[in-house]
Amino acid sequence: MAETVLIMDSDREHGEAIQTHLQRHQYDVTVADDAQETLERLEDEKWNILLGDPLIDEEAATARIADLLKEDPSVQLIVYGTSEQVDRAMDRFALDAVAYLDLPINSKALMLNMARARNHSLKSRKIDRYVQRLTDLHTARNHFLQLFDSVPCFISVQDRNLRITAINKWFKQHFGNSVGGYCYQVYKHRSSPCEKCPVIQTFEDGQIHSTEEVVTALSGRQYHVLTHTAPITDEKDEITQVMEISTNITQIRQLQDHLTSLGLMLGSMSHGVKGMLTALDGGIYQLETGLQKQDEARVSRAFDQVKTMADKIRDMVLEILNYARSRQMQYAPVPVTDLVESVMKNIRPAALKSNVICEVFLPDSPGIIEIDAVWMESALVNFLENAVDACAYDHEKPVHKVSLTITVEPEEKVCFRIQDNGVGMDQETREKMFTLFFTSKGSRGTGLGLFIAHRVIQQHGGTVQVTSALNQGTELIICLPRIPPGSIGENGINPLTS
Amino acid sequence: MSKKILIIDDDPNILDYLSALFTDNGYDTQVAPDAVKGLETARRFLPDLITLDIEMPGEWGPRFYRQMMQIKELKNTPVIVISGLSGNEHAIPKAIAAVKKPFDREELLRIVKEAIG
Repeated sequence: MAETVLIMDSDREHGEAIQTHLQRHQYDVTVADDAQETLERLEDEKWNILLGDPLIDEEAATARIADLLKEDPSVQLIVYGTSEQVDRAMDRFALDAVAYLDLPINSKALMLNMARARNHSLKSRKIDRYVQRLTDLHTARNHFLQLFDSVPCFISVQDRNLRITAINKWFKQHFGNSVGGYCYQVYKHRSSPCEKCPVIQTFEDGQIHSTEEVVTALSGRQYHVLTHTAPITDEKDEITQVMEISTNITQIRQLQDHLTSLGLMLGSMSHGVKGMLTALDGGIYQLETGLQKQDEARVSRAFDQVKTMADKIRDMVLEILNYARSRQMQYAPVPVTDLVESVMKNIRPAALKSNVICEVFLPDSPGIIEIDAVWMESALVNFLENAVDACAYDHEKPVHKVSLTITVEPEEKVCFRIQDNGVGMDQETREKMFTLFFTSKGSRGTGLGLFIAHRVIQQHGGTVQVTSALNQGTELIICLPRIPPGSIGENGINPLTS
Repeated sequence: MSKKILIIDDDPNILDYLSALFTDNGYDTQVAPDAVKGLETARRFLPDLITLDIEMPGEWGPRFYRQMMQIKELKNTPVIVISGLSGNEHAIPKAIAAVKKPFDREELLRIVKEAIG
């Protein structure tokens, strides 16, 4: 595109002569011969080069040109005139003009300065475009950063070594400023990458991968997350980093857990229910035939059976309803000694079979604890069974031992310490061990036992503390309050004094 | 002489029920609460038909059936499985019928009648 040039010359003929000359050199030239026309032309069009006497007649035009040079650095000014005009123009414009030429104009000097003005104008316009582009980039970058930060997911960007290079606000809030740390350390407190790492898979095949994980936040809380990974490529289309986006689905999982365990309970009950219904059928049959035969003994026996069955079925339905609401525990005071005895009776055969020594350490008078004995016994048996299994899976040590130590300090609590010298657990197994359907035993485990056991302890207001070392063994400390929350005085008995 | 039925189930209420049902319909019955006692009774009683529960404490129904098959006098005795477990029809493949609890008594009586009259 040709440069646009406005010639300001009160001598129109002189101006037009220069116009013709410049047009021959591909400039797009217009001539104005007074202040009025100059102002109009400046108003109407954008000019690249202004040429001639800028002081043309009036101050109004001069001031407008001075402003224009300041506003738009791509506009260039070349002054020509009598030496008097040029002198005044120098006072007025100083360095703002590209050149000052005396009349008569040297054609060579004019063309050189025109070329220089054109270069200046081009450069200046180029700089303008760059600045504009930079501003756009900056705005876009801020916009993306804002999006990255405000997405309600944990987002991290990782390099090939699984080292975190960037995180969003949510990630920072829940897992700390972990840029520079390793993904598996920050999320799972592991010392080596997880099996089937989706980030590694994405580095390998460039595809999106997803997994479901349990991660532990700074606060110690565990979240179920659904994780997706996506490749980040450089200009050569090579994967340099992988972005990992994790959505917190803990609430959905909790609801699912509840529904699943409700389903499991119904499943395990259905056998019992079928038996009861059959027995109820039997009672009704005997009642019917007893009445027909006027056999009073049969009628009375049948009536008892119908009544018993109706009661049993009612209890079971209520139990299911209670669980569906929030499973109510049937608390009753039980001597700690009885509880321990009953638990050990259940675990000894399994220990014997696996050749594991069982030891119990009970203090002199451990007192009484208020529990739902059925649930608590099965929970403790479950923990002990896992200890025995951990020993059975270990082939390193010559002698295997599981010990149960009961302590009653402080007085309002009873603690059960279960120690084994079995296979132990890595950190990930330890963190997932109470999750529904998580099992480290393959098809030998259901992933239910410890989930339910843990829930029972929680419902009794108790805590479970786990320490474990791979190939060395595991220690569980289960602490229960003597009176579970929400049942104080329910039975009119204070277990601490009785 | 009336036909003899041996009933094996761990639930006394169900033993009562089946015993009354079969007796009322002209059969001679004996009951056993588990597989071991069931086998003892069967040797002595030599029933024409056995009803067998699958899930019982101690030895399960299928085990009873295997042991019963090894006794010459019993190995041709028809067996009806009466159980609350779903999938019980496969527990003992040679059983003449598998009935799910709770059962329809007319249906059960029809099966028994077809088998032994």
